[in-house]
Amino acid sequence: MDSKIMIVDDEEMIREAAEMLFQAEGIDLVTASSGKECLGYLESGFRGVILMDVMMPVMDGWDTIRDIVGKGLYEGNIIVMLTAMDAPGDKMEGLQEYVTDYITKPFYIQTLLESIHYYLSLLQTEEDVA
Amino acid sequence: MTTTNIVMIGVSTGGPIALKRLFADLPPLNAAFVIVLHIPSGMDYRIARSLDAVAAMPVALAEDGDYLRRGHIYLAPGGFHLKLEGNSRIILEEGPRVNFVQPSADVAMKSLLRPLKQRQIIGVVLTGMGKDGAEGIQHIKALGGITIAQDKKSSAIYGMPKAASDTGAVDFVLSLDKIGCKLVELLAGSEEPLPHND
Repeated sequence: MDSKIMIVDDEEMIREAAEMLFQAEGIDLVTASSGKECLGYLESGFRGVILMDVMMPVMDGWDTIRDIVGKGLYEGNIIVMLTAMDAPGDKMEGLQEYVTDYITKPFYIQTLLESIHYYLSLLQTEEDVA
Repeated sequence: MTTTNIVMIGVSTGGPIALKRLFADLPPLNAAFVIVLHIPSGMDYRIARSLDAVAAMPVALAEDGDYLRRGHIYLAPGGFHLKLEGNSRIILEEGPRVNFVQPSADVAMKSLLRPLKQRQIIGVVLTGMGKDGAEGIQHIKALGGITIAQDKKSSAIYGMPKAASDTGAVDFVLSLDKIGCKLVELLAGSEEPLPHND
């Protein structure tokens, strides 16, 4: 699997908006509607930038990251929280090093794209070295 | 004891972008920069490489035993605590996490000693969740250093800068852009070259 962006959000409208945005940018995208689905993609070999919602039913963004790290699936990925929550709660304690960025909605599309291109370039660096 | 000025930066979530923006705009300055970014090993060298590509000063992952050099930027690697011995020699240590993180900005900042006369220590706390760096900033202030925290508006997460600022030991609360300007003001051309240290 060579998709570069994964959006994890339980809201269909957000996933559809992301599809339109990243397709227009020519960036490959996969969408996951839950933390469980996100883990499934990672187990199938997804490596890239993961845009993760915080508030999701059953397994929220923090629980999902704990599982990603606990199952050894973090390496080769960058996790960015994309959230309406102005500040993270205590559940982020201990996960700081795995959360590269925390972008609060609403956000400027151009700023988001600049950040994502930068994070993709960080991952590219590793591929160049390998 | 080192003869260079030292800028020590504690930063977490939102840090890679913030550091890129900060260092892309900074000219070579009369200090050694030590960055403690909460980051796992495996990601650290990628951040160092990306900073090196945009910064006017060379950037490298800090290695155990390195001596600080003026005009160089050192990024603490993931999975270790970084300390300075005699304000000059980098020590990387394993050990328990502090403030839930490793490396910890508090550990690094609290290893600093009172600088020699005419030398400055500047502590900076940028965006990030939690309170890492707050004790370190108090320590730097107690040593006679200058302390800076990022403002809320320009922080991805206003946790660490707020915790630092709430200690009352922060001299300047500034936007990321203005932090760069302040560093230039404090460090550019502030002293004659010291060839024996370079």
